Amino acid sequence: MTKFMTRAGILLTTFAMLVACSGNNGGSSNTGTTTEKPSSTNAGVEKPKEPVKFSISMRTLNVAYVEKHPNINDDKYVKKLEEMTNADLDIRLIPHNEYQDKMVQMFATNDIPDVVQGSGGISGPELAGAVENGVFLPLNDLLKEHGQDLLNFIPQEAWDRMTDSKSGNIYGIPEVLSNPSRRATWIRTDLLKKVGKEIPTTVEETLDVLRAFKAAGVEQPFAGRQNFKYADTFFGSYDVFGYLNQFKLFPDGQVKPSFFDTENMKKAIETYKTMYDEGLISKEFATIESTDFRSNVTSGKAGMWSMNANELPIWGAQLKNNVPDAEVALIPSPVGTDGKGGYAHYNPVTRSFYINAAAKDKAADIVKFFNWMVSEQAELFFSFGIEGDDYKVEGGEAKFEVPTDTEGTDKLRYLNGWLWMIQDTTYNKRVSSLSESGKQMIDAFDNMLSKEGRSAIEFDPRLEALVQNPDLNPKSDEMPPLILEQVLRIVYGKDSIDSYDKVLEEYLSKGGADIIKEATERYNNKENAFE
Amino acid sequence: MASKLEPRGAGAAPSPRIRAGGGHVLLGYMWKYKALYFISLPGLFYFLLFKYVPLMGSVIAFQDFNLFTGITGSKWVGLKHFERMFSHYDFINILKNTLLLGIYDILFAFTAPIILALLLNEVRLMLYKKIIQTIMYAPHFLSWVIVSGIFVGILSPESGVLNVVLGWFGIDPIYFLGDDSYIRSVLVGSGLWRDVGWGTIIYLAALAGINPDLYEAAEIDGAGRWKQTLSITIPALLPVITILFLLKIGDFLDYGFERVFVFQNPLNIRNSEILDTYIYKAGLKQLQFSYATAIGVFKSVVGLFLLLIANTLSKKATGESLY
Repeated sequence: MTKFMTRAGILLTTFAMLVACSGNNGGSSNTGTTTEKPSSTNAGVEKPKEPVKFSISMRTLNVAYVEKHPNINDDKYVKKLEEMTNADLDIRLIPHNEYQDKMVQMFATNDIPDVVQGSGGISGPELAGAVENGVFLPLNDLLKEHGQDLLNFIPQEAWDRMTDSKSGNIYGIPEVLSNPSRRATWIRTDLLKKVGKEIPTTVEETLDVLRAFKAAGVEQPFAGRQNFKYADTFFGSYDVFGYLNQFKLFPDGQVKPSFFDTENMKKAIETYKTMYDEGLISKEFATIESTDFRSNVTSGKAGMWSMNANELPIWGAQLKNNVPDAEVALIPSPVGTDGKGGYAHYNPVTRSFYINAAAKDKAADIVKFFNWMVSEQAELFFSFGIEGDDYKVEGGEAKFEVPTDTEGTDKLRYLNGWLWMIQDTTYNKRVSSLSESGKQMIDAFDNMLSKEGRSAIEFDPRLEALVQNPDLNPKSDEMPPLILEQVLRIVYGKDSIDSYDKVLEEYLSKGGADIIKEATERYNNKENAFE
Repeated sequence: MASKLEPRGAGAAPSPRIRAGGGHVLLGYMWKYKALYFISLPGLFYFLLFKYVPLMGSVIAFQDFNLFTGITGSKWVGLKHFERMFSHYDFINILKNTLLLGIYDILFAFTAPIILALLLNEVRLMLYKKIIQTIMYAPHFLSWVIVSGIFVGILSPESGVLNVVLGWFGIDPIYFLGDDSYIRSVLVGSGLWRDVGWGTIIYLAALAGINPDLYEAAEIDGAGRWKQTLSITIPALLPVITILFLLKIGDFLDYGFERVFVFQNPLNIRNSEILDTYIYKAGLKQLQFSYATAIGVFKSVVGLFLLLIANTLSKKATGESLY
């Protein structure tokens, strides 16, 4: 019996050790092999230096070309990129919808690639505190030595998001969005002509136009969507979003989410209630998800909606395919009592790239790789593709035909927005200036959107009190669940508009008071607070 | 269940001898049946590796777990996370939702396959029976995301079939998913639709095992179909029903994350937030791993106690039990 027990004991311990070790082994052996092995793709005759081999994790971002590709590392554009930068990439895709879960898993199993792609600041939830725990390399000296072009190209406000304010260390290389006003209000100008109305400017005028659309038989005069995502136009008119980056300094000296402006918030809620009661928005907008939203718009059911402005060429073309008479335009967003409007501004950093501290010896080459991304050569490659295959050079000028089929647009989206890691993502200058709708979009960005939108105070890392209270924690484009629930109940007529005061009291008693206290303190101390 | 699969020779017979002779007799027996023990090794390893080793991870419920320092490097905090859970302002409501859904699930989703199996058993036309059976299994292989898509379509107030039918009777469209009072019915109903056919499989297998002589004898004695069902079929099914019921009780608080999450929206959240979805939102999304684990441990402990109680009761009442 005892013998049996000892044997079983030994067995158990071996197993436990095996399990415990396997996680760590995976990580270290990975980084080990990547440094050593010479690549076979490049004949190193004319190039004296071996290509730098590194692994990089990237979110698929719902880019169809990437998600459908059998192996993105064998893609001809990736091969071309490797050839141009003398690099050998091992791209590891992270599914768009499970991004945060997979990233956390990656850190937990210590299977961290040489370069990790984050989305936004250095303390985003997808990084799970990796920066504070010393997983990544500070890049200050490397950038000075090998990344001068990056330092010149990327604006200071984006670098600020990559910097730990206590130590002054820069941890990531950011992809930037120079125009933070990314979403726009869209309207069907053909319908507008049909009902004989002008482009509306105020909330009241907009409601009148929507009523006229309804009378003319438009199914959904305003396209609604779950949780007011991409349907928050009128919260913008009254400046009461209350999202993660929408804290405001109130006259009483406290920093609170902007929905504490009760007077304006009630006006915004009542606008939606009117729309719901009069059928200007779908009766079931609380369960309409992104795919249905898109099909509602592109099948011509909607008269007015909100979407990212850079989608204009694509959505516009799809709509025209289904409804040949349709004409669509981006218009200034309806303004509220302060004469302004627009959507919540985006973070100036869209993606960011961090270098694993374990990949120290190739860090210089990796920085050079990213530095190349902002060069003229890179711009041409990522805009059009490969010379000969995708575009021709005639008389010293690149000739490119903008694709209109799905396959072509998918490929373009991949090159322009996914594989091009460091750029200004507002819009692609070269491609957009070739088409009519593209020019319209550039005009909207430069002359209209740059003047609208709501920016406010943001805390990064986010407030500790928010992490403790998920019910009170807003997303980057959604109100906190507690407030959202009540707003929807009021719009759907389940509660009266006066119940909004009560929900604010509830917010305070459930931990909101701590949030406001912490926000005010951090704002006054200028501790990682961005305006 | 595992005990039932053990070879009778190795399990039942030697027990009195072990008591008399001591350890080396057991070893002797193990040697004698070494092939059987050898065959069982992969199964044992499976349970050790995938069920018991991960179980040890539950200790992070008593720590402030840090992803980068691991279990050994994280600080011990005692019952802090359990206190936080019990003092949460919404805890009672979430627990109530979980319990109610669990009860409804046992009332409807557990009994429905039994009734369906009995009904199918009475169908005389073999081809018809097979077709019905196949149609009813099919939804089991759909993921919850797809099931929710189908139900959102059916229940839509503007274009859904159900509301069109209600319209024929002059009833105004109802926004089923946008209302606290319907969400539980939707959750239980969608689960019923998806899994009822699948649930009948075990019962049908048990029904097929009933000796036809019993029915013949009953018929000669003048018993009708109804009497036969009551006196032969149901008693024959009872052991299977008891075992499945006990297993179900063990999962009482595990209503399932995905099936609820896909139906949730702010208009129905008051009645649809359950422990599983709360763990996801408060624990995993906010990276509060210890907190999430603490709630999970609570769930498991409650499940274990319910199982123990139900098993004891069942042993006393019917003689059937899991162990």
